[in-house]
Amino acid sequence: MDALNESPVISASVNMLKPDHNAGLEALLNKLQPLLDGGRMDNIVDVLALVSDLVDLLDSALVEKLAGLFEDATAVSWSLGNAVRMAKAETSAEEAPPSLYGLLSLLREADTRRGVALALRTLNAIGKQC
Amino acid sequence: MGKRIIIVGGGVGGTMLANQLVKKLYPEIQRGEVRITLLSNSPDHFYKPAFMYVAFNQFFHEELKRPERSLLRPEIEFQVDEVTRFDFSGQHVQTRSGKRYGYDFLVIATGCVPAPERIDGLKEAGDHFYQYQAARQLAQRLSTIEKGRIFITVSFPKTPNIPHQCGIAPVETTLMLDDFLRRRGVRDKVEIVYTYPTTAQLLRNCLFLQRPTGEILPGVFEQKNIRFQRGFTLSRVDPDRRVAYSEEGDEQPFDILMATPPIRAVDVVLESGVSQAENHEGWLPTNHETLQVYGLEGVYVIGDTVDLPVSKAGGACHNQAPVIANNITAEIRLGAPGAVYDGRVQAVAQMGLNAGMPLWYDYAHDVLPTPPSKLGGLLRNGFNRGLYWAVARGML
Repeated sequence: MDALNESPVISASVNMLKPDHNAGLEALLNKLQPLLDGGRMDNIVDVLALVSDLVDLLDSALVEKLAGLFEDATAVSWSLGNAVRMAKAETSAEEAPPSLYGLLSLLREADTRRGVALALRTLNAIGKQC
Repeated sequence: MGKRIIIVGGGVGGTMLANQLVKKLYPEIQRGEVRITLLSNSPDHFYKPAFMYVAFNQFFHEELKRPERSLLRPEIEFQVDEVTRFDFSGQHVQTRSGKRYGYDFLVIATGCVPAPERIDGLKEAGDHFYQYQAARQLAQRLSTIEKGRIFITVSFPKTPNIPHQCGIAPVETTLMLDDFLRRRGVRDKVEIVYTYPTTAQLLRNCLFLQRPTGEILPGVFEQKNIRFQRGFTLSRVDPDRRVAYSEEGDEQPFDILMATPPIRAVDVVLESGVSQAENHEGWLPTNHETLQVYGLEGVYVIGDTVDLPVSKAGGACHNQAPVIANNITAEIRLGAPGAVYDGRVQAVAQMGLNAGMPLWYDYAHDVLPTPPSKLGGLLRNGFNRGLYWAVARGML
């Protein structure tokens, strides 16, 4: 039963890779070859340097400001998008366009008056900045 | 009469689901065949994960709240009215104002609440960061401690395989605490001790509720001179002597006890009688795949009230909401739900005051920890300050 303790014999030609062989690196180099050939690799390095510079420049305060801008932009576009979608759905559901009286009676609704006030105040604030 | 969908709870789960339902069911809503109502006990929506930052003086109260109405599409009827009773057989809910709301589909999105009173002495002597006022009080203590011992401990629900609120939060806050005290210049005079209970969901004697993350934690903590101890299941606290006792027979003194407290479902869910969870914790029996409540017709549950073995966190709601929206839509249009939740949760963990670690997992895969990075930290900061509100609106 000595055979159990013998070291397994592995053929040197199987599963042996050269020490400097790296399949991942080789695949990456193959992908990059056209860029190297065309002399455009420098652009990629430049972009990486730019990204790296941006990451170095970003701090918590700047991220907070950018995130605030993102929120402002998304909140306004979301509100306007909602309003237009809902108004469009309600208007297109009407068989005939509203009469003049119908339009005026829209003003009876509190939400309409709130919307008109919002629009007028928006114009007021724009006026202040002129 | 059209189908009535009632969502109870204006947290992130209820809010994003309501918005996604409007999008899914828009043709029916336009034709007046579906009506969506969201009931909440508060006119305001709080970004709950920011309470953790409040404990380190990083968020003002006004920055973490928005009017709930401003986060909801105009097609949603929003009522500030607390639900006081579910009548599942009569298919309606009763509210504090005395109104009755009938439903064809009900979504329970009421979250969970900290229950420190369930451990003797913890309410009096412990601090936590799971609510605003509690986090402010903790901030006050952390900002003034000059020397001593901060003892961190985690309590799990007694119901088997249910996690505490936001799985990674105790690790995040331990690392933030280390940074915070270094910034204050008192770290070398304050001892930080992180402990974890003997039973953490399915694991025993670990430092975290998932093995791969638990295994890297000793190295992370040793680097920062944070002491750690396995097998400390908090059983009671002596507020006068300022000592925490464990079920295992250990006792630990503290100057600040930063404790993840026991949690439970809200009162109205506890009183509904549907839950079979141990210790009157109130988790609803949830179908792992469809997110329906077992035994109830047309009732779904999202977020912290589920009895699933996934994080009680917004990152879970983010993946549960589309499944419920699809299933309710399929029930209305096809007669049966079809979408499946795979247990996915994703987040960016705050690993110290500046670094972040993106993570994800599902029913079948644990989190594979990656090195915390500055970019991860900036991503988390960007999420906290802006992206979150777009997520709540159902835009992301």
